[in-house]
Amino acid sequence: MSLHMALLLAFLLLVIVVATSVGAVAIPAGVLLRSLAGRGPLTEAERTILFTIRLPRILAAAMVGSALSVSGLLFQGLFRNPLADPYVIGSSGGAVLGASLGVFLLPPVSVAGFGTSALLAFGGAIGSIFLVYALASVKGRTPVVPLLLAGFAVSTMLSYSSYFLEVLDRDFGTGMRVLTSWLHGTIVQPTWPQLAIIGLMLGAGLCACAPLAHRLNTLALGEEYAAHLGLHVQQTRVAVIVVGSLLTAAAVALGGLISFVGLIVPHVMRMLLGPDHVRLLPFTAVGGAVFLLIADTAARTVVAPAELPVGVLTACLGGPFFLYLLRKAKTEAFL
Amino acid sequence: MNELLAFADVDFGYGERTIVSDLTMTVTRDACIALIGPNGVGKTTLLRLAAGTLRPRAGEVRLHGQPLASLRQRTIARSVALVPQDVAVPFPFTVEQFVRQGRTPYLGLFGGFDRDDRDAVERALDLTDTARLRSRIFNQLSGGERQRARIALGLAQNPQLLLLDEPTQHLDIGRQMEVMELIRQLAAQGIAIVATTHDLALIEDTFSSVWVLAPDRPLEHGPPRHILRSELLEEVFHCPPRRGSLLREPLLVRREAMQ
Repeated sequence: MSLHMALLLAFLLLVIVVATSVGAVAIPAGVLLRSLAGRGPLTEAERTILFTIRLPRILAAAMVGSALSVSGLLFQGLFRNPLADPYVIGSSGGAVLGASLGVFLLPPVSVAGFGTSALLAFGGAIGSIFLVYALASVKGRTPVVPLLLAGFAVSTMLSYSSYFLEVLDRDFGTGMRVLTSWLHGTIVQPTWPQLAIIGLMLGAGLCACAPLAHRLNTLALGEEYAAHLGLHVQQTRVAVIVVGSLLTAAAVALGGLISFVGLIVPHVMRMLLGPDHVRLLPFTAVGGAVFLLIADTAARTVVAPAELPVGVLTACLGGPFFLYLLRKAKTEAFL
Repeated sequence: MNELLAFADVDFGYGERTIVSDLTMTVTRDACIALIGPNGVGKTTLLRLAAGTLRPRAGEVRLHGQPLASLRQRTIARSVALVPQDVAVPFPFTVEQFVRQGRTPYLGLFGGFDRDDRDAVERALDLTDTARLRSRIFNQLSGGERQRARIALGLAQNPQLLLLDEPTQHLDIGRQMEVMELIRQLAAQGIAIVATTHDLALIEDTFSSVWVLAPDRPLEHGPPRHILRSELLEEVFHCPPRRGSLLREPLLVRREAMQ
């Protein structure tokens, strides 16, 4: 493991400790560390806050950030376009629509209350990516303008058609509240079994990325050239879409539509480490966790005891960054 | 038998339009062939047929006597390297990262590099004199440097046959002559070469054979002195009537004249 990776992991640990101690009820970091060391146990209230509220929320934020960032990295490689991310190209929108169908229409026959939703979110994400890909690709390339247009159209269409489901809402309100928080991008307060499901999806997705990373490097040369070099382009493309959609679905199930994370994190990592996907993959996974954990901690503390949707924060940070990239892309020939 | 690649009764076209029909030609292990012809006649198509990325409608292309259709693309790419005219790279890869992609046909599931892979990349960088550019961003190179890096990627495949698509396009005369010098060096190393080109003046010093592809006529081939004749070229390229020879001046600038 490289020094850089060790530093990033140490930073993640530090952020977790800080995020654990701050909140509506502060638990000083010193108290936390002492109790970890087995000296000075926590009060009953502190234990409850820690294990049923704060730690699950922190894990959820870290996992959502990681999943969004890695799927952003995958989609950027697949579309050969540094402006792709699950939110921009519509896979998040597809996932939200899928997940809402699960909430509104299906009986909760699932493990831990949202197994079906997660599954439908996965289906929605895959469907929307195939749709955007088909709309935006010209001779195996996906130029920036068609990609952004198709992504914007599909994304808006899918996320807002979720509102139609309001009329089908049988128990007036609960489903709608869930949907609204999804569309704003709020990390839900998850239960441990829910975290386990999402953890499995994230773990499986990250493992599946390992053989894909170097293939994305080859794919960067263009599909035709990659095929000449012996890459199975079609298989690689489908694998990337499936894995990217799995990760998007995992993120959406816990956090809804959180914009631009999948854009910013891979970009910053690429600026720091260069464009080699093999190197970028682990750093993007950990960096994404750090980024969204910081953003979510800010979202739940800056206006405490009220809470901002974390999607509001990432949009305010990510929007300008996206515009900056678009501006830069105009002046650089390699888009 | 000195045969490396063979076209046997190859027929290919796009829809109604026929590009080649009944083409039977052999590329030997020591071949150094210039492929010329008017724009849009299908020179690049012919290279793609040779590289196995296009399949003939009829007939077959054979590598070491085996039909390309029966070989995996990975296997083909270890013997035949196609260097395309232009490669658009959407990310800021360094020259070394770019050239490493030439090892794709040799990599396993996780893409790890072994000693052979590293050696092949180093050799490719050395041969093309791009070792000193290894940390530069590919997209920021000059035209001539970028062409050498593209050729280096092809050489990293460790090919017996190198197919070059317009290697001198958009280069100034000095860089064109550098590329031709590189082609001569590679040929001397025992790599067979087929290159498409529009720079007729540079052919004679470098290539031992010329193939002429023209619409609706069989492929003509022969040593440069026999092929690069005004009558044939004017007919093939549909040159408007003009005074003087097509080749002598100002088109054909002999190397001696430039020095």
